[in-house]
Amino acid sequence: MKYLFTRTRLVFIALLLLSSTAMAQFTATGKVTDANGEPLIGVTVLAKGTTSGTVTDVDGTYSLRIAQEPATLVFSYTGYSEMEKQVSRSAATVNVTMTESSTILSEVVVTGLASSIKRSNAANSVATIDSKDLTGVTVQSTTDGALYGKFTGVNISANSGAPGGGTTVKLRGITTLNAESQPLYIVDGVYYDNSSIVPGLNTISKAAGQGSTNFQDNQSSRIADLDPEDIERIEILKGASAAAIYGSRAASGVIIITTKRGKTGKPTVSISQSVGFQQQLKKLGVRDWDAAKVEAAYGPAQVPLFEAAKSAGKLYNYEDEMYGEKGVMTNTRFSIGGGSETTKYFVGMTHKTEDGIVKNTGYDKTSIRLNLDQQLWDFMDLSVSSNYVNSSADRGYFNNDNTSTTMGVSFVSTPSWAELHADANGNYPNNPFAPSNFLQTRDLITNNEGIERFLVGGALTTRLITADNQSLKLMMRGGLDYYTLTTTALFPRELQFQKDGNGTDGASVFGTTGTKSKNYSAFLVHDFNAEAVSFKTQLGVTQEELDLNTVLSTATFLIGTQTNLDQAGSVLTEQNTIDQTDKGFFGQEEINWQDKVIATFGVRGDKSSRNGDPNKLYYYPKGSLAVNLHEFGLGGNEMLSLLKLRGAFGQSGNFAPFGAIYNPLVPVIIGGSTGSLIGTRRGNPDIEPERQTEIEVGADLSFLKNKLNLELTYYIKNVEDLIIPVQLPPSSGFDDAWQNAADIENTGVELALDAYPITGSFSWHTRAAFWLNRAEVTRLDVPAYNVGAFGATLGTYRIEEGKSPTQLVGRPLTEGIPTVFGNAEPDFQMSFNNNLTYGNWDLNFLFHWKKGGDNVNLSTLLSDIFGTSPDFDQKSLDPAGQLTNGNYRLSTLGVSADAWIEDASYIRLREASLGYKIPRSKVKNLGDIRLAISGRNLINIFDYNSYDPEVSNFGTNALSSAVEVTPFPSSKSYHFTVGITF
Amino acid sequence: MHDNIKIKFSWLYMLALCTALFASCEIDEVPDPNNPSEGVISSDASLSEIQNVVDGTASAMRNSQQFYYEGVGVIGREYYRFSGSDPRYTSDLLGKGSAVLDNNTFYTNNPYAGRYRAIKNANILIDALTNTTASITEAQRAAGIAWAKTIKAHELLLVLNMQYNNGVRVDVADPDNLGPFLSYAESLNAIRDLLHEAETGLGGADSFPFKLGDGFAGFSAPADFAKFVHGLLARVHLYQADWAGALDEANESFMDNSQGADFYTGVYYTYSSAGGDFFNPLYYTPGSTGETLVAHSSYVTDAEAGDDRVNKVSARANIFQDDLTSDYDFAVYQTKTDPVAMLRNEELILIYAEASAQTNKPTDAVDAINNIRQSHGLGVYAGGQSTDELIDEILLQRRYSLYGEGHRWIDLRRYNKLNTLPIDRVGDDVWVEFPRPADEG
Repeated sequence: MKYLFTRTRLVFIALLLLSSTAMAQFTATGKVTDANGEPLIGVTVLAKGTTSGTVTDVDGTYSLRIAQEPATLVFSYTGYSEMEKQVSRSAATVNVTMTESSTILSEVVVTGLASSIKRSNAANSVATIDSKDLTGVTVQSTTDGALYGKFTGVNISANSGAPGGGTTVKLRGITTLNAESQPLYIVDGVYYDNSSIVPGLNTISKAAGQGSTNFQDNQSSRIADLDPEDIERIEILKGASAAAIYGSRAASGVIIITTKRGKTGKPTVSISQSVGFQQQLKKLGVRDWDAAKVEAAYGPAQVPLFEAAKSAGKLYNYEDEMYGEKGVMTNTRFSIGGGSETTKYFVGMTHKTEDGIVKNTGYDKTSIRLNLDQQLWDFMDLSVSSNYVNSSADRGYFNNDNTSTTMGVSFVSTPSWAELHADANGNYPNNPFAPSNFLQTRDLITNNEGIERFLVGGALTTRLITADNQSLKLMMRGGLDYYTLTTTALFPRELQFQKDGNGTDGASVFGTTGTKSKNYSAFLVHDFNAEAVSFKTQLGVTQEELDLNTVLSTATFLIGTQTNLDQAGSVLTEQNTIDQTDKGFFGQEEINWQDKVIATFGVRGDKSSRNGDPNKLYYYPKGSLAVNLHEFGLGGNEMLSLLKLRGAFGQSGNFAPFGAIYNPLVPVIIGGSTGSLIGTRRGNPDIEPERQTEIEVGADLSFLKNKLNLELTYYIKNVEDLIIPVQLPPSSGFDDAWQNAADIENTGVELALDAYPITGSFSWHTRAAFWLNRAEVTRLDVPAYNVGAFGATLGTYRIEEGKSPTQLVGRPLTEGIPTVFGNAEPDFQMSFNNNLTYGNWDLNFLFHWKKGGDNVNLSTLLSDIFGTSPDFDQKSLDPAGQLTNGNYRLSTLGVSADAWIEDASYIRLREASLGYKIPRSKVKNLGDIRLAISGRNLINIFDYNSYDPEVSNFGTNALSSAVEVTPFPSSKSYHFTVGITF
Repeated sequence: MHDNIKIKFSWLYMLALCTALFASCEIDEVPDPNNPSEGVISSDASLSEIQNVVDGTASAMRNSQQFYYEGVGVIGREYYRFSGSDPRYTSDLLGKGSAVLDNNTFYTNNPYAGRYRAIKNANILIDALTNTTASITEAQRAAGIAWAKTIKAHELLLVLNMQYNNGVRVDVADPDNLGPFLSYAESLNAIRDLLHEAETGLGGADSFPFKLGDGFAGFSAPADFAKFVHGLLARVHLYQADWAGALDEANESFMDNSQGADFYTGVYYTYSSAGGDFFNPLYYTPGSTGETLVAHSSYVTDAEAGDDRVNKVSARANIFQDDLTSDYDFAVYQTKTDPVAMLRNEELILIYAEASAQTNKPTDAVDAINNIRQSHGLGVYAGGQSTDELIDEILLQRRYSLYGEGHRWIDLRRYNKLNTLPIDRVGDDVWVEFPRPADEG
């Protein structure tokens, strides 16, 4: 690297000499306006075939020195059609009126760590959305929640309805068999940590066995910390062919987020306030009991109790009591942006409060952002982004347990004649049907996640060479993502499951996680325009460091109502540390032949302390080609304005789970002495990163003056050397060992249609997308095995060569092989997004259809066992027509897992809004005022027999999502928003 | 412009410097931040790390041990293990109907893997002691290694007790290159040889280079520990039917056959209520239902009148499960933290008696038998003096003296008397051995 750089430096000096040659010059000036005559600020004006350019100022004017006449100026501005105008010394003033583009083709998409490309020249299908689509329709609680249904090829699923988010994101299918399967998030160049950190509820719920990593604590995703209203734009690199330059962390894809920045001009102030509420998305109802049913389910002894409660009017609908809250939601937003030619600023502040549909749950967040751009010299710019977030989420106590204490499990275990209400003095009766009185649990426990997060990133851009036919830029970036997550789980000793020897006389579980993630990089970007061909060369080095430290203390046998850790009879503390350093370099060459053929190739080399040999470089190559056939005369007319064929290839990696290279001795206790005992999973210092190779081909077409745009993509993604724990002979002293032992192939199709069927005073912009993915295990060095969920009796995943890795299987077994009952992967997904405007009115709605994809629904199992299933008495399942649904399902328990594996298709109205913009004239030019009513998840169509088919008991775990055990139910929400911009 | 060019170049140099710095420097290997790792311990352990591995090994000997005792005890019809959550204790282990022992489930795998994990830790200890640069004498080094070998031999013998004719792997030092399965006889020879090596290694040292826990009280100096090694050798020779060897080793061991000797002198597994420590896994609250150990009723009905050893069970409310019934709790252990014996004096006296009977020294045998009988409130032995008669008496005394300590099944198997065990349900079976775990290939 050092050697390479030295040689590069010599080249610079030579190039610099070239650039200082003076030439005959003149200055072109003019003003750029929109169709209404309003000045356009920040329009890029470029002398065609050169790299000399400028942007329009606050009045829409520009001034650009032109080296040689005649020249052509190219005007480009996001959202507007690109224009070209001739300019000469004699006609040096060129005023331009730009028209709003009816196409997405003019936008730019990333191609490198320090470069981007016009979409019309891109060789990859990169999914993007801007702030208008992200937050323009309705109020978004969290960034992860704002993404549903908006990207082709992207599978986003909520883990539960608990306030504060928590989603599983899968880009183009399953890419690893390990827990770490979430994409890499990069916000303004800063690696944004999205660790999923458990709050330690397992101490009480015992949902995971000791030593099992399959926690079911329903923790949130840390991407939820980012305020969606700060986001200008999101780009998703779905596979290795686009993400190869991110190397060894990019196997699950990369989500690149750019936040809003100030623009030259007078300050623009935006203030908006919304109020709304959320309520349970789908009520299941409760079983309609009678004496016969009570006797069948609970025995004759309960019948008089039931009758007494009935005659006293004390049959309760506990679903309404638990999930019937209308949670108030408010969102206050203030932003101001502006700046001079040399200094631009953007300040964004959001404060939101949300009450959940369960009492004592909710989410509060405050986010403050300051983004600054400063031109230091005419050749050097500094740009700084900073963000502080403070949030607090009360998430309740739901999901699976082995102690019947979560609110979800005890709720389904309790029939309607149970009396759980507190007396006048606030004393709760014990629940005779379950170890927990869920009303008491709801009112007394705390399960809080608190975040203090500080994010700062800086970029320094130095234009080393600015000449007519070439430029050389040096970009240096650094970023720091620092947060403290505090998890507080309090189970007071007066709880039914804590007192009288039923538990540990109270438990206080207090966790703190301090995370410091740093990244630095430096790039050189060289643009060179020859007559027919232009070259863009990038070279760079990168370094990332991650330091994560979790301390989880569990105090039990609490003193009175005390919650401090020292007010306890016993304290157990666990600590877990992750310490990682990665270094890499990359180089990329982009060659553009007159926008006709665009070729890119590059390579990234990465090394990391996560690997057995920390200094071994792993190389991830990429290459792509886009051919604009319309430039060759095939089309290129009004009918067919764009016809592009594209293909891309790339590789990326995924590290082994942290610690996989070590052979640890774990602490044990004997007679008060601490001992060291070899762990049961053997480390593997020779473990290689998982490697993904993706080939993507596609075509982009635009018809009818770009009013109709079509994007077709097909990809094959092979993930090799997947890391799984492989069983060892137990006489080795180990149970299993990490090994590279499997391959998976994903293939898929993505279609996207973007159309403007009606333009004018009434306009309609519609986007439809269709995508599907199919996966197959193509190599497995070990015998087929079941994994995830709760085993073959109730339905489990099974990794088997030649089969889909997301197949769901269960009993009965045929010669030891379970029966296939479904697949967690959807058959296909579609989204349909529409924006209609008429005068000052606008209507927006987004439908999302997921067809197929199965869940393991164990909420139904538990409610059947306790006879509380709302559909228990219906007769729609038994093929013989004899048994009621509840009895039928129970009759198959242990024999077949079929009843618990259910189709989880849905059609949803994800977002909808109706807005009205009050004309400035009517409000004395106060500003633009918009009033809107909006909602989320307003229409939900599904057959799935629970609250919501979108659910994951195991959080983001790759092979255990789509499993449901009594989750926090999902909600729908309504909002009224007033916004003013001036 | 000229100035700017200068500034530009100074930036360029700075960048070149920065880049060279951070691209050229190597990434330091990150040692496991959460736990000590095997590589470090094996190659360069401190004395305190060695102590940790010793304690870890002692602790590991208790991992999954309930599955060993319950498996051996249930098949030996000493007691039943009733379980609300797992029917296999009363079906598979007793051979109910067509049920057979599974080669891939907890009762087969867990005790097997638990013992080999302790063996693995003992092997790490041997590596650590061999390579450590800490200040210990060569004699201490040898004594420490001898302790580890003794533990390995003890653990291997437990695996072999379950696996019997399947044999065991003795050489498991290299997980990538595991040694072969030896036959039962070869396995016993290998265990005996390990103990002989241990005995030799203990010879020169006055002290171990580490401290031993409470379970080794009285055996924590090499010379005393050697008596435990001889005791284990006596057991191995007994299993080999090498009677003369068994007699010699019993005499060299800590056996005390005097009148009024403490039968409970020995080496123990220990438990405590300290956070993270184990409780005695064979202790159940008396009268508990759901998960519990209850005595086989024949233990009470077969007992001679006056035998105080019937106190090893206690009366309880009748419990009935899977067509099996009992009125007695298993009550060998009185509290959650009572120790469990690895080897104690009473067994050595009985080994001495058996080896004496088999080597035609009936007087010695009867003296030992009478010591046992009289200590437990019975009169002197009045039966015949033939070897067969003496052996029957010794097996009976072993059944009562070592009740619930994992011997009856093995003793009857040694004498081909498994068919004398009671069959409680039609179709039940008495297994001879556990299957080899499936993952052993």
